Amino acid sequence: MTRERFEDLAEIYGGDIARWPLAERDAAALLLAADPDFAKAALAAPAGLDDLLGAWAPQPVTHQLREAVIASAPRSRARSGVRGWFWRAGLGVGLAGACAAGLVVGVRLSDTVVQQDDTVSAALSGYDDLSEVVVGEGA
Amino acid sequence: MDPGDPDEALLARVGEGDPAAVRALVARKLPRLLALAGRMLGDAAEAEDVAQETFVRAWKQARDWRPGVAKFDTWLHRVALNLCYDRLRRRREVATDNPPEQIDEGPAPDRGLQARDVGLRVAAAMRALPDRQREAVSLCHYQELSNIEAAALMGVSVEALESLLSRGRRALRAALSDMVES
Repeated sequence: MTRERFEDLAEIYGGDIARWPLAERDAAALLLAADPDFAKAALAAPAGLDDLLGAWAPQPVTHQLREAVIASAPRSRARSGVRGWFWRAGLGVGLAGACAAGLVVGVRLSDTVVQQDDTVSAALSGYDDLSEVVVGEGA
Repeated sequence: MDPGDPDEALLARVGEGDPAAVRALVARKLPRLLALAGRMLGDAAEAEDVAQETFVRAWKQARDWRPGVAKFDTWLHRVALNLCYDRLRRRREVATDNPPEQIDEGPAPDRGLQARDVGLRVAAAMRALPDRQREAVSLCHYQELSNIEAAALMGVSVEALESLLSRGRRALRAALSDMVES
């Protein structure tokens, strides 16, 4: 590796050779060992900039954000399958109950209608008797 | 040797709806994505929106993820960067008539250079970079991606990436010169 290339890489990737492209690291380490004064001088300013860049800490992940992201994930299929079974079973029981209730109400209603029919018939027959009386009185 | 995708097994469990895998993936990726979006946008609330939206897309992708096509981490970065660029574009459209007030984030004379002040100065210097240079510095320095991964993400050659990095770092050094030389 030439000195120029070493300086270029320091400018591009910073003052830590471990962060340089993998293919360049061995040659850079050789140059560092062979010419430490030059290499350290070339790395000093880029390393200083690296330190400054490191002072800008990333914003922290809040509990609220983390939970919101987790809540947006799809639900477990296994769990939703069990839930789905309960939901469908509940729906079936509900429908069966509704049918049974409907049947009971229907039978009671029909009984009431029959009873009402009987009452109306009796009343009408009463009118028949009354009409006979009225007709008889007029005659 | 291809080390494979370190996220592949976890992603498969996420695709099966394993809640523990979901939590593990969020713990592994959310801080990185939030940091990237924060550095690209310079706005904490917008960065959170981008991180959330990125995960919404990740959940949709998890079930149908095809191993070997791309690394999941690279795909995730691509999604987040696209969302960041959408917002930066909208910001430019809105800001043409009313440029935002520039906030002086330099240290007050009586405070000296505390760590937080340095961070604010760096943040301001990063914000002042052209988008592509800021992206290159964010991916290589802060996200610690390799030059090949970063170049692929940005859709440029390694040489073009190196040019962006070199110009970006030079501009940062100029903006922070009073601190670099001290």
